[in-house]
Amino acid sequence: MKTARVTCAAACALLAALPAAAHHSFATEFDRTKPVAVTGTVSKVEWRNPHIWFYVDVTDDRGRVTTWGFSGAPPAFLQRQGIRSSVLKVGDTVRVDGFRARDGSNNASGGKVTFADGRSVFTASPEDVRPN
Amino acid sequence: MSRLPLVVVVAALLGACSTAQAPAPGLDAQGIPRGADGKPDFTGVWAGPGFVHTGHPETDKPQVRLYTDANMAPIKPEARPLLYRPYAKNVLVDDPTAVCLPNGLTRQIPSPYAQQWIQTPSQLVILYEYMHFFRVIPFGPPNRPHAPDVEPTYMGDSIAWWEDDTLVIDTIGLKEWLLDAYHAEDGGSRWHSDQMHVVERLRFTDATNVAYEVTIDDPAIFERPWAETWAMQLKPSWKILEFICEDNNRCVMGNCTPADVQRQSAGS
Repeated sequence: MKTARVTCAAACALLAALPAAAHHSFATEFDRTKPVAVTGTVSKVEWRNPHIWFYVDVTDDRGRVTTWGFSGAPPAFLQRQGIRSSVLKVGDTVRVDGFRARDGSNNASGGKVTFADGRSVFTASPEDVRPN
Repeated sequence: MSRLPLVVVVAALLGACSTAQAPAPGLDAQGIPRGADGKPDFTGVWAGPGFVHTGHPETDKPQVRLYTDANMAPIKPEARPLLYRPYAKNVLVDDPTAVCLPNGLTRQIPSPYAQQWIQTPSQLVILYEYMHFFRVIPFGPPNRPHAPDVEPTYMGDSIAWWEDDTLVIDTIGLKEWLLDAYHAEDGGSRWHSDQMHVVERLRFTDATNVAYEVTIDDPAIFERPWAETWAMQLKPSWKILEFICEDNNRCVMGNCTPADVQRQSAGS
């Protein structure tokens, strides 16, 4: 998939320190040495504290479905940046880039979401994991 | 020209004197808000030191800030293990906020969430969005003693006074807890002792920006007091919002509880 085109200024303003700015240390929950990228269909969105979670059904070559969970920013962060829960809808096809949970489960931080039309939201950079 | 009645002249002079001592509520010549007592008025919603301030009302970027090594006073040799706690794979050491325990004062100050300040001549109330913490801080004479029976708490016992136009908040009674958001990737966590004394000094630099100096005096750890200078910015268009840590806290220490859709998917 080609590099996402950034078209949403408000969403991209979210970016920095997404994991580090959370209620906990990014490092205690996610492993920055284990990046993950999946493409699938949004099956559920939990726009709740302390972090939003959204779930993506990923179908492999044999037709088996795995549901990945991705953690995002707290709802207040998103609201203040003009990003509301309607940004992610069940049924959307998305690619999500993030870092896997330390327990090796199908959960990860969701640093960047790219839609089928190339829009990219929740952009986060790896260096944002670590506060200055 | 007709002569003004004496009472009018006296009243005018009294009014002028009164104005000189205590500017009327509203904005002063620099646009800095002032209360009925003439003091700078910090009432409003602020993006604290946990934001990169852009100057635009909507675009401040949340960013955790740490206390900087360069600003710290020398650490007493025997106290280094009190300050730096190695990564222990124990949430209560590495990051108790991961199980929704409080930041504590020194980590709360640069927390990247909004905060609402409500100031009256007798007290200052600070409402922190993060975990809904609050501080109720009485004004009084400078350098007065704290109450004699302060019990250690996460946010401590704070009292305030004015030094000209500088707001001074003096806090003791802090339990041994996290100094800041220093974390596992930094090599562990960073803590303060229960002897810590914190002095916050806040001064408007213009109509919407405040210099926020935090002095850490922790004689159990440092050779002398030291200070960090940050900033906060008034955000008239912001509101403080809900933050409920326990609501959907799914991956404590990286051990994630499967969501219902994940259980269904795995079982199909």
